[in-house]
Amino acid sequence: MKFYEKIIKKPWPYWVGGILLGVLNIILLALTGKAWKITTGFLYWGLSFLELLGFNCLDWYYFSVYSNQLRKGETFIHNYYTILNLAVIVGALVAVLWASEFKFKKIKNRRQLFFGLLGGIIMGYGTRLSFGCNIGAYFSAIPSFSLHGWVFAIFMFIGAFIGTKILFKYLL
Amino acid sequence: MTEIKLDCMYEACPIPLLKAIKKLEKMDIGDVLILETDHSCSIKNVVEWAKKQGHNVDYMEVGEGEWEIYIEKRK
Amino acid sequence: MSSNRIEELKKRRQREIRVNKKKNQKFYAFIMSIISIIIFIFLLQNNKIYSIFWVIGLLIGITLQRSRFCFAASFRDPIMVGSTSILKAIIIAFIIATIGFGIIQYDSIDSSGVIDIDRLPGQISPVGIHTAIGAILFGIGMVIAGGCASGTLMRIGEGFLLQIVVLIGFIIGTVLGAYNFEFWDKLIIKKSPTIYIPKYIGLPTAVILQIIFLTVLYFIADWYDKKNNLMSS
Repeated sequence: MKFYEKIIKKPWPYWVGGILLGVLNIILLALTGKAWKITTGFLYWGLSFLELLGFNCLDWYYFSVYSNQLRKGETFIHNYYTILNLAVIVGALVAVLWASEFKFKKIKNRRQLFFGLLGGIIMGYGTRLSFGCNIGAYFSAIPSFSLHGWVFAIFMFIGAFIGTKILFKYLL
Repeated sequence: MTEIKLDCMYEACPIPLLKAIKKLEKMDIGDVLILETDHSCSIKNVVEWAKKQGHNVDYMEVGEGEWEIYIEKRK
Repeated sequence: MSSNRIEELKKRRQREIRVNKKKNQKFYAFIMSIISIIIFIFLLQNNKIYSIFWVIGLLIGITLQRSRFCFAASFRDPIMVGSTSILKAIIIAFIIATIGFGIIQYDSIDSSGVIDIDRLPGQISPVGIHTAIGAILFGIGMVIAGGCASGTLMRIGEGFLLQIVVLIGFIIGTVLGAYNFEFWDKLIIKKSPTIYIPKYIGLPTAVILQIIFLTVLYFIADWYDKKNNLMSS
C-alpha cells in the first residue's frame, strides 16, 4: 500500500519529472533518430481535415521548403507525430486512472473558452514561425546545440511576461 | 479564527494560486483558507507556494480528481 | 507542514466523505492499460519504429501527469510568484539531454569530421527575427490558454474539456501559420542562418560549455527562488 501511495497517488517532485523527460528524449533520439516534437502533428491533423473538405494542401509553399514535405509512406494522419501525441494523451489518462483521479472538467465560462481558443491560435501560429513549440524549438533544440533554441527561450520569456500582464488584467 | 472557503472548481492554472494569494492577504493570522479545486496541478503549486510563505498547509482528496487545500495563515 | 488545526478540519471532512463513498477507477485503469499494450503489439507487428514512438509517448505522458510537469509554468511562475522549481527541473533535463544528444551527434559525424547539418539528428533550424516573433507569440498564448502543447495533451488525458478547445485553437493556428509561410519565408526566414554551435567550436567543447552554462543558470534560478517573491509579499 505504501508503494501505491508514494508512486501512484502522490505527485512526483518536479526534478524527477525533469530527469525522466531528459532521459526519454535521449532514448527517443537514439532509437528513432527523432527528437521529441509535437506541433507539426497538430498541423497535419488540421490539414487532413482540410483534405476531407476537398482542399489539396500538399502543394502549399510550406511543403516545398526546409524538408517540410511528408516522408515516404506518410499521410497527414499516418505519421509518427500522430502516434507520439496520442500516446502522450493515453499515457496521462492511464496515470490519472490508476490514481483514481479522472474527472471530466467542464469549461467554466465564456471567458475561459475565449482565452483558451485565442491562446491556442496564437501559440499555433507562433510554432510555424519558430520551427516548433517549446518542445521542438526549445526542449529538443537546446540539447541539439542549435542557437534557435536559446533565442526561443529568451523570447518565450518575454511572451510569458506579456501573457502574465494580460492574465492579471482580464482573467483574474 | 474562522474558516474561509474558496471555490476554484473548473479554474485553469494558475488562477487557483492567484486567487488564494489574494484571499490570504485579506485574512487574519490564524484563519484557515479552504481551497476547493479539481486542477491536479494546484495540489503542487499552491502547497509549494504556501510552504514557502511559511503558512501551515496540507491537502486532502475529497472526490475523484477533487481536492481541498487547507492553508492556515501564519504571518 | 500541517498543524493540529488543519488535521482536525481534515478529520471532520473525512467523516463527511465516508458517507458518500468515493468510487474507484482502477477497473478503467486496467482496461486502458490492456488497450495500450494491445496497440503496442499491433504496432510492433506492423511498424516497429512506430511501436517505439508509442511506448516513449506513453512514458512521457505518465511522467508529465505524475510530476505535474508544466513547461508553461516553468516560465510563468518565476514572473508571477517568484518560484523556479519547475524551471530548475527543466535545466536538469537539459544537462542530461545535452550529454545524451552530444554523444548521439558525435556518433553520427563521420570520421573526416565534416559536419553536415542536414544529416545530424536533433532539432536544428534557422535562427532569426522569425524565431523571436514566434517565441513571443507562443509565450503569450501558453500563459493565457493555461498550458503549452505538451500540457494540453496531458490535460486532455486528465479530462479537461477546456484543453480540447485549446487543441482546436492550436490546430487552427498551425494551419494558418503554414498557409502564410511563404510570406514569412521570403520576408525573414530565407535570409536567416542555421547556427549549429559545435560547427564553430567543436562538439566536445560545445557540450562542456553548455553544461557549465546550464549549471550556472541552475544556481541563478535557485538563488532567485530563495530570495524572491515578485508579486506577492
